[in-house]
Parts: sequence; structure tokens; C-alpha cells
Amino acid sequence: MRDKLLHAPPDLDPFMGELPRLDDALSRRVNADPESLERGLAQLVLTIVELLRQLMERQALRRIDSGGLSDEQEERLGRTFMELDRRMAELREEFGLTKEDLNLDLGPLGRLL
Amino acid sequence: MIELYAITDNPGPPLPDLAALELVPVDGLAAVCAPAGEADVSADALWHHEEVVEALMADRDLLPVRYGTRLEDEHAVTRAVEERRDELAAALDRVRGAIEVSVRVLPSGDAGRAAVPDAAGGAEYLRQRADEQASQAGTVRAVSEPLAALARASTTSNPRPPELLRAAYLIERDAVEPFTAEVARLQRAHAELSILCTGPWPPYSFTER
Amino acid sequence: MSTAVAERDVALVDLVDRLLGGGVVIAGDITLAVADVDLVYVQLRALISSVATAQDEGYLPRMGGAL
Repeated sequence: MRDKLLHAPPDLDPFMGELPRLDDALSRRVNADPESLERGLAQLVLTIVELLRQLMERQALRRIDSGGLSDEQEERLGRTFMELDRRMAELREEFGLTKEDLNLDLGPLGRLL
Repeated sequence: MIELYAITDNPGPPLPDLAALELVPVDGLAAVCAPAGEADVSADALWHHEEVVEALMADRDLLPVRYGTRLEDEHAVTRAVEERRDELAAALDRVRGAIEVSVRVLPSGDAGRAAVPDAAGGAEYLRQRADEQASQAGTVRAVSEPLAALARASTTSNPRPPELLRAAYLIERDAVEPFTAEVARLQRAHAELSILCTGPWPPYSFTER
Repeated sequence: MSTAVAERDVALVDLVDRLLGGGVVIAGDITLAVADVDLVYVQLRALISSVATAQDEGYLPRMGGAL
């Protein structure tokens, strides 16, 4: 089958972020090491939380755009999201995950099944 | 069990010799199937399945079926296709003479916001996020609009950091080169972006309304 | 990792998106559940996408009045 790359930047690495875990999930390699299971679970949970956080943040921005929130409400909303963002960064660090790791990849969890 | 590969309205051309393929005709359409093997979701299995669909696509227009679609027997296939016969025929019209390409865009280098928010307060944080979104949206449009202009149809997934764009374009079979050239031009015009374009793919993203 | 292998691996992401998340969905007796989790991965993306679109087009309410 022909090579599928029609145009690629010189550095393909950034586009490979999802790969190791995708490949593992597809191959159903089993890794019962409790640390990696925990990390996989954390990755799953954080991925979903991150998705929701982004969705809500976008909603909030749209709400602000359309007016209808007081300065105080905006400030409170902003603080909440800022705190959530900060907390997510901490959680990622705690579990040794990068932003790329949370890019909708369910990784090692696939190995649990 | 029978595994489905694709739906076509051009059963004429001979089937490629890559799997035990057979045609199940259904009222002007035909389902391309083969006896289902063991359920396998390895990368190799996916690539092999893709190879079959692309070999079929070389000789006819088709709608690729989602991987892993299995039915009991030919009767079940006939029933399932009949159920959606008109929609499938319409979808085939939409993709006639076209293939799909994928485009993904990431920020290049260290572009991107601070890992941890450092705004002075809630309102400033939201302003920063709004600015960021606006700038990203602008960048995304600068890439997706010229490409969409070259395509018959396009569809995008919601971009999620760090990804800025994940899109699929339905383009004429013979328009792959000019499309690729445009991608290359956009890449040259935007050093702050990293653009990846893959294809041609069967029209997976354009089978449903 | 050789370039050819890297190229094929990069395309794997696009392949999986398509084979598992796209294509005609035919009501089959059994649809191969790709380790459930993998389908969740692509469906989640589709779900979030459709929620955002539905809100944009007014079919779904936006955030509630708790604000």
C-alpha cells in the first residue's frame, strides 16, 4: 500500500504523541504492573475531566461574549476556571502526564480489558 | 459470520484478490463482504483491512464500512443494507469520484501557553483564554478555509490542545496534487504551525449525513 | 526508528480515527467492540463535537443559570 503521507513537516514527533499508547491498546498488550495501571486509570479520568473543563470554559467565554454576566460573576467564573486549570496541571504532574497524554487517548486502560 | 468492507453501486469491476471477497447485491447497491476471521484489532489487521478497501476503491466508488462490522450471513447483510438503501445511495452520490484526505495541525516549537495559568485574577484569566482562543481560531481558519475551498466537502473535529485542527476533506480523485501543493504553501506561510496531511483515504468521514 | 516506520506510525492515528470512528454504521448482530475503550476514545471525540455543534446551532441549551 502506498505511503500515506501527502505532506509532512520535517519533525514528525509531535504527531506521534498518541502512538505508543494507541499501539499498545490495539495490540492488547497486558501490563499488570500496578503503577502503570494506576497511571492508565488516571490518564482516562483526567482525559475526560480535561474534555469537560475545556467544553465548560468555551461555554463560559461564549456566555461572556453574549453579555449577561456581571463583573463579579465573570471574576468568580474566571477564578474557578483558573483554579481548575491549575489543579489539572498539578494532577498531570502528579501522575507524570503531559498535555499530549490527555489528547483523547485512553492508553494503558485498553490493556486492562 | 460475515465481515463487511464496503458498499458500492458499481459491482461490475472484478474484485481484488486480497481476501475471500464476495458481493451481496441489494437493490442497485452491493455490499462487499468476506467470511469473518478472528476478531483482531491490531495495527496490522487494520492496515490489511484498509488495503482491501483501497484496492476496491481503485476500481469503483464506494462507502467504507466501519471496521469490525459483522453480520450473521448474507440474508442479514441484505436486510441491513435494505434498511438504509436510499441513504446509502445518496451518500454514494455525494462521494462519487472523490476521496478523502486528512489534515492535522499542531503548533510548532514551543508555541503555546504557559503550563500553569499566571493571571492576576479571574477576569484576566478569562481574557487571556479568550485572546488565545481567538488567535487560535484565526490560525485555524487561515489553514482550513483555503483547503475547504479546494474540497467538495469538509468536516472538522473539535481541536483539543495541543492540536489546533483535525479535519477531513472530500476532494476529487484527481485533485490530490493541487490540494497537497496548497497544504505545502500554507505550511510555508505559517512557520508557527506544523501541518500533517495524509491520504488518500476512502471517504470514511463522509458516509453519514 | 526508520523514517518509513515513523511515517506509517503517524498515519496509524488517522487510520484508527477512520476505521473505528468513521464509515458506514450498519446495524449488525455483533459489532466488534474494540476493547470497548478504543471505541470510547473515538466516540468521546464525536460526542463532544456534536454537543458543541448542537449548542452553536441552538438545539441544546447552553450553560445553566447557576452562574
